[in-house]
Amino acid sequence: MSFYMEKQKTGSTPYILIDESKGYMKMSGKSFPEKALDFFGEVITWLDGYLATDFGEFLFDFAMEYHNSSTLKVITNMLMKMDECAVSGNKITVNWIVAEDDEIMIESGEDIQEDVHNLTFNVVVVDE
Amino acid sequence: MMDFDVLEFSKMLSEKKITVIYSGPIWADGVEGMAEFLQRKLDVDNLSRTVSKSIFSVFVEQMHNMLMYSAEKEIFTAEDDDDAVLSKGMFVMGKEGDTYFIKTGNVVTDYSAGVLKERIDYLNTLDKQGLRQYFKEKQRSDDDNPESKGAGMGLIEIARRSSSKINYKFTPQGEGFKYFSMSVEI
Repeated sequence: MSFYMEKQKTGSTPYILIDESKGYMKMSGKSFPEKALDFFGEVITWLDGYLATDFGEFLFDFAMEYHNSSTLKVITNMLMKMDECAVSGNKITVNWIVAEDDEIMIESGEDIQEDVHNLTFNVVVVDE
Repeated sequence: MMDFDVLEFSKMLSEKKITVIYSGPIWADGVEGMAEFLQRKLDVDNLSRTVSKSIFSVFVEQMHNMLMYSAEKEIFTAEDDDDAVLSKGMFVMGKEGDTYFIKTGNVVTDYSAGVLKERIDYLNTLDKQGLRQYFKEKQRSDDDNPESKGAGMGLIEIARRSSSKINYKFTPQGEGFKYFSMSVEI
């Protein structure tokens, strides 16, 4: 059984989709839960297990409109783990999807891009 | 207080260019509701995405700081009899010319006051590039829980989004406590 999870967004938490059978994860919306680590706990637990397998190919579409600083910290930790595991046959692609006039999100994507080495990290600028 | 005149208060707020004011309990779901309201207000003002997001971001981080640091608590009895202990604080937003200002106020312990003062003083020595770099260091640091050390990244985020330095004041409030007021411009 592969893992599947779909969480609808709320005013302060994002939409999250994980479809393990397709090697796919997506997040969108706004994220500023009071306790980011608790909110993303289930995702982190799944990801840790998944990254330990020979998963082959994995795609993460990050299309968040807004994230607070503690959400970014949690997401960064996930990306660093992904970066460590994107080796020996395991290919990971992350699309950091941002609106073209969103300087803040573009900057935050570029800062992460500088620090990842194994996974493919694309800052995808879209015209809204 | 029966002699409180709402009209006079309202006039005072417009003289001071204050457009939004909140004083009372602060709790996580309340922050979500207020954030939605703020977003609508910002949409109406028709700002650039960067300015609008900077204001939104400063609001969220300051609210979370108050949730974490406010030493003044109120106990509310919910319908299901589970008492909720909520932080108390004040939030003010206004606009003078093209500049937005955001001010908050809440009671903190002397210990928190010391920590906050030290952090803000340090942030105020950094320029935008320095703040970006410092934020990045915290973002990469190994401690997993972003909330564990309390407001570390939140304050840096506020400093990054502000066009001004972070102004603050601590006023003694009896034994062991201080009133912490903070103000930034965007």
